Formats: sequence, C-alpha cells, structure tokens
Amino acid sequence: MTQIPIEVGRLMRASLTGFVAGCRINQPNLPAFGTLVRVPINNRLEAFGLVYNIHVDDDGLVRQLVTNQTLPPEVIADNRDNRNMPVEISIITIGRRESGVFSHLLPGIPPTSLDIIYQCLPLEICEFTSAGRFGYFRHILRNEELPTGELLASHLDQARRAHGACGDPEWYTRAIKELIIRLRDDYPGLMNVMNALSDLPTE
Amino acid sequence: METTMNDCQKKIGYIVAGNLKDCLRVRLVVPTQEVQEGSFVVIRCNAWQFYGLITNLELGATDPRFADEQVGERFQPALSDLLQGQTLFTNLEVLPTLMLEIGPEPGSQAYKTWFENRNSASAQPIPVKTIPSHHAEVLLAGAGDVAEIFGEESKKGFFRIGSTREQGHPVCVDLAKLIQRSSGIFGATGTGKSFLARIILSGLIKAKLASLLIFDMHNEYGLDDQASDTHLSVPGLKGKFPTDVRIVGLGRSGTIRGQVADFNLEFGESDIQPEDIELLTRELNLKETTPATLDALVASFGRNGWFSTFKAMKPGNMIEDENGKRIPAPDSVEGWALENNVNTLAAASLHSKMNRLFHLTYLVDQPAANGLNEIIKSLEGGQNIVLSFGEHENDLDYLLVTNMLTRRIREKWVDLTNAHRSHPEKATEPRPLVIVLEEAHKLLNHEMAAQTTFNTIAREMRKYGVTLLVIDQRPSQIYDEVMSQLGTRICGWLGDDDDVHSVLAGLAGRDDLRGMLARLQPKEEVILLGWGVPMPLVIRSRRYDDIFWKELLGKTGSKADESRIMKELGFGL
Repeated sequence: MTQIPIEVGRLMRASLTGFVAGCRINQPNLPAFGTLVRVPINNRLEAFGLVYNIHVDDDGLVRQLVTNQTLPPEVIADNRDNRNMPVEISIITIGRRESGVFSHLLPGIPPTSLDIIYQCLPLEICEFTSAGRFGYFRHILRNEELPTGELLASHLDQARRAHGACGDPEWYTRAIKELIIRLRDDYPGLMNVMNALSDLPTE
Repeated sequence: METTMNDCQKKIGYIVAGNLKDCLRVRLVVPTQEVQEGSFVVIRCNAWQFYGLITNLELGATDPRFADEQVGERFQPALSDLLQGQTLFTNLEVLPTLMLEIGPEPGSQAYKTWFENRNSASAQPIPVKTIPSHHAEVLLAGAGDVAEIFGEESKKGFFRIGSTREQGHPVCVDLAKLIQRSSGIFGATGTGKSFLARIILSGLIKAKLASLLIFDMHNEYGLDDQASDTHLSVPGLKGKFPTDVRIVGLGRSGTIRGQVADFNLEFGESDIQPEDIELLTRELNLKETTPATLDALVASFGRNGWFSTFKAMKPGNMIEDENGKRIPAPDSVEGWALENNVNTLAAASLHSKMNRLFHLTYLVDQPAANGLNEIIKSLEGGQNIVLSFGEHENDLDYLLVTNMLTRRIREKWVDLTNAHRSHPEKATEPRPLVIVLEEAHKLLNHEMAAQTTFNTIAREMRKYGVTLLVIDQRPSQIYDEVMSQLGTRICGWLGDDDDVHSVLAGLAGRDDLRGMLARLQPKEEVILLGWGVPMPLVIRSRRYDDIFWKELLGKTGSKADESRIMKELGFGL
C-alpha cells in the first residue's frame, strides 16, 4: 500500500546548509526534534535534513495575555487557531536525492520559498541513512551551534526503529561505531554524544 | 576470528608505525590475552613476507581520559563495549628479523613469471632490510611458517627441540649448523638445563653428525638417574643408545653408582704439565711464586718427569753435614730448592698444596691401560663418550681431568685435520667433535679462560671440527670472548641481570629480548638465540619422557628396561 507523504510545513527561508520551515501552531503533523525531512527543490533534486529546533515567537498580544491572572480556554484556543505567527522549524541540510540516487553531499541549490517540507517515511529513512558510510554525520558534527548529542540520539533512535522495521537491526551498532571513530579524538564531544545515547531506552 | 586458509594463521593486527632500527608497531585487533610476548608473527606486504617476534605489548587510548574513566559504570554495556573497542587499544612491538620474497598473487601470470625467474638465493629468508607498509596484515605464524624458517623434522639433520608456545607448532634446530660453532645451554638452577641437554644430546647421537665427549660431572647423563624434584626415573644415554655410547669411569676401579663402566681412564703422572697446575691456582690456593717454582721443576726434571719426581720428594727431610749441622736432605723439597735457587718456603708450600693431586687415584705412575687412546679411537669411530666422574665429584677433579683430556684430544684433532689438509687422498677428514661441558664458568671464567684449552677451542677449534657445548647457570661468569664465540644459545629463565646481559651480548635486538628472558616460565620455556637459529624464538621445549623416546627411536623401552620389567613381573629371578 503506498504511504501518503506527511506534510509538515512550508519553506520560509533557506541556505545551502539549512532551511527554516513554518507551519500553524496547531498543526497536527508537527515534526519531532531529530526527525528526518525532505524538501523537493526541482523535479530531479530533493534536499534532506534533520529538525534541530522548533521555535515559537511571541507577539504583542501574547505578551499581554500572559500577564493575566486567568485565561479563559476560548481565548487560548483563539490565540492558537487564529494566530498569524508561524511555528518555525529549523532544519540542517545533511544530504540530497538526485535523480533517485541518495548522497550525503549538500544539494547544489537551496530550496525555494513556500516549497512543501515532508516528513520522511521509514523506508526513506532506511535508504538515506544506509547510503554511503554515514557521511551525513559530518554536517552535524561540524556545526557547533547544534545540540549535537541530543540531536544524534533522537535521530538514531528514530532511525533505529526504521531499520528494525526494514530488517537491519545492526545498523544502529554500525552508526554508533562510526560516531565513535569520528569523535575519538574529541573527548568532550564524544562523551556528550555517548551520554545522550545512554539515555535512550534499550531495545 | 579472522583466519587465512594457509596453515591456520590468525590475523591479530595491522602495522601502524615503526622503523627498522627499533621495532614495528602493530595495532591489535584481537583481545589482548590472545597474544603473548615472544609470539612468532608473520607480516604480509605485497610481494614480501616478514617474520618477527612480539617483544612488547602496550595499552593505549586515543585520549588518556578514556583510559581513566570506567565507562562500564556510566553507559549501557553495549555502548561501553563499542566505546572501549574504538578508543582503547593495544599496540604490539614486533622485532622484525627476517624477510622472504613470496612473489605476486599465486595463480596469476605475474606469479608464474616470477616463479620461473627466481633463483635459489631469493627462495631463502634473508635478514630484514626494509619494513612493511602501513596497515600490512600481521598474523600469528602457522605451522608452515615455522617450518619455512626453522626447518622440518622430516629433513635430515633437523631435530625437533620443542614447539611454539601459543599453537604448539613444531620448532626444529639444524643440528649440522648447531655443531659448526660452539653453543650454550643456560638457565638458572632448576630450570631444566640438564633435561634440555639430554634432549639435544639424544638428537645429536641419533643424527650421527658428530661424536660427543660429555664430561658428566654429576653422573647425570650416562646412566639412568633420578629427577631431584619429582624423584622419577630419568633414562640415561647409555641405556637408550647401548652401542653408540660408551661410559668411561675415572680411576682404575671407577664405578658409577655401583655400576661398572665400559672402560676406565687413568692419567700417567708424565701427562701432567705445569699449566695444568696453574689452572688450579684458586682451587689449591697457590701463591704467585708457583709459576717460577714449576718452571724450575721442569728445568730440573723435564716436562715428563717433574711431577713424579716432585711427588717423591720428602718435605722437611733433614740430614747432618760433616760439621753436625742439620741441613735439608738431597731428596727433600728444601734440598732441591736450595740447589736450584728456588725459594724453599715457596717450594715447600707448593708441595704441601699439591698433596691433593699426589693422592688422586686416577693419577698413577703407569696407567694400566691406555684409556685416553681408547677414548680417542671411540670418538674417531663415531661413538660417543660419557666420562662419568663417579666418586670424584669435586671441582679439583673436574678442572684437572677436563683440561688434561681436552688438551690431548685437541692436539689429536689438529694433527688429523692438518694431515687431511696436506694429503686429502690419504687422510680422511676427522669426525666433528662436540665437547659437552657443565659448570662451564669454572673453566671459562675470566681468570682461567686464558689458561684452559677450552678457551682455545671456543675461539679457534671450529676450523678443526671441534666445538663446545657449554651448560651453565652463570653465563656472566664466562669470559666475554668465549661467550661471543657461542653460535647457538638456548636459554631458560635467568634472574640475574648480569647473566641476562651476558647471554644476549653481541645479538641484535638484545634490549627487546632482555625482558623476555626474565619472564620465561621457570621450566620448559626457553628462548633460542644466536647464529645457529634463523631468528630468536620462545618455545616450549620437549619433555624428556617416554613419548620423546618413542618419537626418537620408535620404541620406549631399551633392553635394560625390558629386563627390569620382566624381573618385576617375577620372571628370570
């Protein structure tokens, strides 16, 4: 049965190394931290990225409302349903699919405003993360502004489940080995990642 | 674990660093406990195969903090295992010794061309002259590798002395090469030197490459003995090789533990030379005037007669002259000394100290039989002689007899060799002779080495086919020059630093081997070193037991054993 793509938002702004999507506050498909998403750039090229931040800005009305001692539920609902400020989803670009071929190189051009961002399905997660040899880790590890440990833990947890469903439970071990090899000369960095991974539930 | 198809070699790591002068560094890919110091390893790199010895293991970490932190307590077991596997490692230090050209990939056209064009020289391992590349595979040597380097038991002249420690692959010694130079068996007391010597001597007797003259100071080798620790019976060489070994007793009625020897050895008093006495300076506590006194005796009575004449002199014997004054008698020591301008006190002192020699029962005026000729004839004829000292077990007997006998044998072998070289068509080359010497430091120490025949043999006599096999627990006491002449050194555990230093003197890679020597198991583990072996190697020596004899001779019992068994069963009483 063909799975229906899950839309999570539309592109607000982008660069080659990342992009920001926006959506309504009460959107049901709000992606979780560490989710793998994709955005078609043209009919041959898609960019893949990881959600690393979800940001809700305040506005003048919210700032006033929070000072009230009591807030009626209808006021809260109205503010959420009708608010004109989007939830901003920050995504780091970690690879591409070009003419059906996965790569962990960055796409040559960024996506365009209002392009739809889709959450990757389990099969897409398996295919993207199995391509090459975990080259996409470098994009995450070299970006000092990311919460690296938590991001990798969250991503690996989701990817572990997808690979389990796809029949490759050993992927998780290979991924951790690769992380350790890449970070073995960076003790604080590796310990940060390992601490986060150790907080994941064991399977 | 990763293995290759050839000879069950096991991959243990890959090269990460190193240099030719020091060692190669190998990153271990198997658990540390699977590899030991002294293991024989093979390194494959393109068309070459390198052979080496593990000399050190060292723990390391990509960051010291990974080693300091016990991550097993912080992380899930699976995570900590993965972490430790990548951040903590063990490096080996490998002493490369030999290299062999193995050519391109077998089965390829290039291999066929290479194989057809190679010469016999390139088919042999050579001392290492280059090093393998980074990431070259390192494997534990298989049986084929050991056989490639150390030879196979099935080949003539190769004798299995033991096996590799880890996998039990047989290790052989080239006996023909062993006897080309003097060699040594060393180890602290109780490490099994005598057993190892028995094994090697048995191999030499079986191979018939040389004749052996064994100075059996403690009556251990010739006849059956009893192990001092286990009290089990230890077969003697005579029982196992009844026609190849002759037991010689010292003195006319020399018996060895109640058993009669094949023949006996006595020395004539005319055989003793002044240098034989000087050799006993420490043993007899002789003074510095001794050489002068001996010179005077020889001048007076000749080299053949001085000893018996001096023995017959009466010390302190006095007579009265025509004036009634008491003067030394002409037949007294003092009388001779005065007549020959020799210090009377020195002469009297020497005579007194030589009383121990005058009373030796194997030193006689006229030997009953020519035991010495019998020994030489037996050795020339390919038999082996075990000279058992019987009840004459003190150092004086050992020093005197070994030196006197060896001097005569050396002279004989020099004559035979010169005769052969002058007229090879008339005189055959003398049979190679190995003189087996226990407690070698008593004869070959710095003080005495210059005076003994053994020093000469060690330094020069391989040209005449005579070499030594020294067995000793204090190699540091053996003269440096002699030690440097020892080709093959087989060494058990040594505790003394000086002894370790002495055994390794003159050998490449001695610093790496030093710790290895000190960490050998006290029994049955030895290290093979020196010119006589292709490369240093730690082995587990064979056991001197029924299995050894069955493998060597094809049966466990000798006639003597069979008669004993029959008696125990009640037959033939």
